[in-house]
Amino acid sequence: MIRARPVVAVANREVRTLLRNRALLAVAAVFTAVVVGLGGASMGSPGGYVSLTYDLLLPVELLVPVLAFAVAFQSIRGDDERGTLSILRTYSVSRAEYVLGVFVGRALPAFVLVVAALAAAGVVAGLGAPETSSFLATHSAGDTPLIYGRFVLFAGWYTLATVAFVLAGSALARTDREALAAGVGVVVVVAFLADLALVALLTTGFVGDLIGVLVGLAPASAFRGLVLELAIRPAIAADPGVATAHPLVSAFGLAGWTVAALAVAAVAVWRPVEK
Amino acid sequence: MSDPVLAFEDASFSFGDVTILDDASVALEDGTFVALVGPNGSGKTTALELFAGLRALDAGTVTRPTTTGRTVAYLPQSPRFRPGFTVREVVDFYGSLVETDVDADAILGRVGLTGAADRRVDALSGGMTRLLGLAQALIGDPPVVVLDEPTSGLDPDIADHIFEAAAAMAADGRLVLTTSHDLEAVSRYADRVLLIADGEFVLDGSPDALLEGAGETSLRDVFSATVAGSGRAAVDVDAPTDGGGE
Repeated sequence: MIRARPVVAVANREVRTLLRNRALLAVAAVFTAVVVGLGGASMGSPGGYVSLTYDLLLPVELLVPVLAFAVAFQSIRGDDERGTLSILRTYSVSRAEYVLGVFVGRALPAFVLVVAALAAAGVVAGLGAPETSSFLATHSAGDTPLIYGRFVLFAGWYTLATVAFVLAGSALARTDREALAAGVGVVVVVAFLADLALVALLTTGFVGDLIGVLVGLAPASAFRGLVLELAIRPAIAADPGVATAHPLVSAFGLAGWTVAALAVAAVAVWRPVEK
Repeated sequence: MSDPVLAFEDASFSFGDVTILDDASVALEDGTFVALVGPNGSGKTTALELFAGLRALDAGTVTRPTTTGRTVAYLPQSPRFRPGFTVREVVDFYGSLVETDVDADAILGRVGLTGAADRRVDALSGGMTRLLGLAQALIGDPPVVVLDEPTSGLDPDIADHIFEAAAAMAADGRLVLTTSHDLEAVSRYADRVLLIADGEFVLDGSPDALLEGAGETSLRDVFSATVAGSGRAAVDVDAPTDGGGE
């Protein structure tokens, strides 16, 4: 059973660690500047929120794993390297409670940052919108801030999944160098290799109609599929007819990767000893 | 004699071909300050980790306290606490992991760190960091405190202060088990000395009893006489250090 007390205690420490790390604050500032800057570039665009979502989709896909790396790659490994993990183990804290506490304390601020930065980008982009919105004429009745809000929430969810991935790498690493390699590896796999594997599968010709399902199995493409199907598709006037992803599979895929990564971290963080 | 609070019975542990414990047994009682000494590589740290429940034995049994709450505190060699936090915040954090209320100032006072309570841990000296580790060991009032070379690399005054603080913890009724190479301090502060070599506890007794039994005048001489020819197969401590006179 997971108890709230140790989870909250560990999470509280992680949040304060992030807030006191100037390098991480600089990374957060750069992320915000890039995202809001892209929002500013879309200011007054006739494409409205759909256009903004398209503009931000790829940068978010790539930047969020980098942000997750910065936020989490040293978390568990750092405790191990300093000797404080051995100290923690003599308290009444289970592996699951510790990992969940680290995840909450690291992922929640990252989630808030991503959601806030994207929300700010939405506000900035909306500032230049014409009085009688041409968005509506262009994109049926679906192009509303609510649609953009879905994209923002999916991006937040994608953030949680990528932080969980990096945490798993941090728990598996036994040296600082391994932690660095694992963190970079996670970014590369999540942002590039999983998609490349899908493309490679497509070229074999065996995939056929399963592509909509398969894209839900990789974190970045699952996020992209959710955005395309549940944020952009309802907003455009002419339905493309062909589904780019299966939303349910994508949702389960993203959630599944998050849970699986946390489970790996909990198993790897230390070997239990019978008391 | 009271029941042991910490014990190995027929304990065995090895890293591949390297044997740390070979069917070893020992029982330790509360209210005593026990020093575990031995040559480099004899497995002192591993033995502490086995006692503290951080590793599992390959064979045999280990006895630990069965009380509720925190039962064994552990301080690794050269710990470093998370930077950016003050000394009081570190104690408050670990205090939030136990069920009982923790008075951070009182605990810091026990180890002489009251004046550094608001100092950031990254600005502490090595000795102060060890003292913070000792303070952490008191949180939750565990009946067993395990310390891994808490005075290595420290000046003699701070080392004495740490030994005094550890001895005071034992005087409160705890079992305090520490590893150390400072045999002079061990002979002054420890109630009992265990010497580990070749997977066994080859010496066990009070410093006075060990001196008397070996007919030596210092624990250092007892140590050298006991470990000579054991546990150092790969190290020739008698090799000339001037390159053989060339």
